[in-house]
Amino acid sequence: MARILLKDLVKQFGRVTAVSGVNLEIHDGEFLIMVGPSGCGKTTTLNMISGLETPTSGEVVIGDQVVNEIEPGERGLGMVFQDLALFPHMTVFENIAFGLRVKSVADEEVRRRVLQAANAMHIAPLLDKRPAQCSGGEAQRVALARTIITNPAVFLMDEPLSSLDAKLRLDMRTELKHLHERLKATFVYVTHDQAEAMTMADRIVVMRGGFIQQVGGPLDIYRRPANQFVAGFFGTPTMNFLQGKVETDGGRLRFRAKSIDFLLPAGAGPGSGREITLGVRAEHVLVGKGAQPGRVTLTEPLGDETLVFFDYGGDAPLVAKVSPELHLSSGEAVTFGLDEAGYHLFDGATGERLN
Amino acid sequence: MRGAPGARAQASFARRHHLFWWFRHAALVAWSMFIMFPIYWMLATSFKDAGEWVTWPPHWYPYQPTLYNYHQIFAFATMEKELSRQATEQVFSIWGAMGDSMLICTVSSLISLLMGTFLAYSVSRFGVGGKNFRYLILTIRMVPPIVIAIPILMYYAIMIPYTTDALFGTRISLFDSYTGLGLLYTATTLPFVIWMMLSFIDEIPYTLEHAARMMGAGRVYTIRRVVVPLVASGMVVTFLFIFILNWSEFLLALTLTHPNVTTLPVLLNKFQSAVEGRLYGPQAAIGTVITIPVVVLGVVIQKHLIKGFSFGMIRK
Repeated sequence: MARILLKDLVKQFGRVTAVSGVNLEIHDGEFLIMVGPSGCGKTTTLNMISGLETPTSGEVVIGDQVVNEIEPGERGLGMVFQDLALFPHMTVFENIAFGLRVKSVADEEVRRRVLQAANAMHIAPLLDKRPAQCSGGEAQRVALARTIITNPAVFLMDEPLSSLDAKLRLDMRTELKHLHERLKATFVYVTHDQAEAMTMADRIVVMRGGFIQQVGGPLDIYRRPANQFVAGFFGTPTMNFLQGKVETDGGRLRFRAKSIDFLLPAGAGPGSGREITLGVRAEHVLVGKGAQPGRVTLTEPLGDETLVFFDYGGDAPLVAKVSPELHLSSGEAVTFGLDEAGYHLFDGATGERLN
Repeated sequence: MRGAPGARAQASFARRHHLFWWFRHAALVAWSMFIMFPIYWMLATSFKDAGEWVTWPPHWYPYQPTLYNYHQIFAFATMEKELSRQATEQVFSIWGAMGDSMLICTVSSLISLLMGTFLAYSVSRFGVGGKNFRYLILTIRMVPPIVIAIPILMYYAIMIPYTTDALFGTRISLFDSYTGLGLLYTATTLPFVIWMMLSFIDEIPYTLEHAARMMGAGRVYTIRRVVVPLVASGMVVTFLFIFILNWSEFLLALTLTHPNVTTLPVLLNKFQSAVEGRLYGPQAAIGTVITIPVVVLGVVIQKHLIKGFSFGMIRK
């Protein structure tokens, strides 16, 4: 049983509150990713699960046991650190064997299990090398092998891919997902990279300023962000936001912003007269369909699609995803419309979702 | 820029650079000779016969090289009488003083190294002593030894013996004892150890210790298997550094010891005869003997310093 329960978890460093009352259930065998900007409390939360930090108040439950008073090494967890924390003075073999050596496992058993772990991570030829002689990806695998050798029920990972270059990071994402499927263990993974969270997670926890903003599957969070912060954090390019006001227009609601106004779909949440922020993703900005005029300011061809930034008279340019076949150049006049299905309405003051 | 004028300018620059190279090296060689001359003189004198020690005009090198000075200072008990009758009426052997020096310096340096390393660890990891402790440590060393020599003498020779006499009925004196001098050597070198070891321990990322802890290792196991191996060369450097400090320490040893305990620098100073005045030959021989370990350790330190400070192997 590797279910983890966080109950009203609070951590204060002096006068700074890093984590303010986190409640979360992490299911057995789940790949859970905590994501958020730096200083949002995600690493601190992870460290409280690991036991490297003691909660100021609240409980950490692993299985059926409150582990607040239990040493990190006794909690049955494995952890991969951001800097990997491989021991530079030991060979790869001894690095992987460390967890077994601590428990005074017999030499033969150690050898057998190290080989097994090394084979699983495809690093058997590296066993006699030092960590400094391994490449970034190899060191990553060593760190994983060192963690899997003790068969922990829960893997904690603190931005383990951040030291890798972009290509390798993509490969390791796939590999981590495979590893998760093979081990069927609980993974709790911390990152500030929303793309990493989207691609790997079963469930995502978005944090900000010590509070959980939203918990949900990657697509739920992408499609129905709980507030403006989450909406802006997920997706590339960043969601377009228009500040404006809701007005009544012949029995329907009309959204009026600077240089633009359009009807809201029937049954949309906010009442008349309310200040709101309307969010719409780049794929829901339809260039060439609709009547709003605009002027292209910048294009970014990505290969499979092209990002078009255009000025419509508002405070900030809008961005749209268009087919690469559509050749637009800077300065060109276009018309555009917005796809009703992609409207995200947020309260103008609090940023909470309204529809 | 690759044209003829540029090339000429380059050639002229090279020539001037060449001249400067010669000038710089000439200056450095001259300065080194100036600095090294007394050491050469000591070395030369140690091989000179009694008649050559002070002559005018000076003998720039031993005209009749002899090992007699070394023979004298290394004399064993059985040879003492015979030898001493020949030269002066004194016992010359340095074996006793060498043993004293070795014992006091080795033991106190080791104790200081161990204590200092653990203290540095707690300062580095737990912030023991507060934020500014690491800077305050060295200020202790800014007090000149002469300031503490006399007060310590008062304690060692008078206050402690009389207090223990009054309390326990036996006089315990730290004056002229291995313990007394060793304690002081430990105390005076401790700031250096803490300061030097701090720089080594700070270099170790704390995530290494977290990783070990996550894998079930206790604090002691982690220190033994992770921290100490990583600062081992730093510990060697530190040990050699304070050993040399203790080995050549003179003022405290002169004030607080003799005749029971005599370190080499103190012996060197006492080495004179009533008949012949200063015995420059044997003194020079002792000086040479004292210097040898310092030079050897100095060379070893240089090699280890490079190893000790090259923490580039730790992936950040």
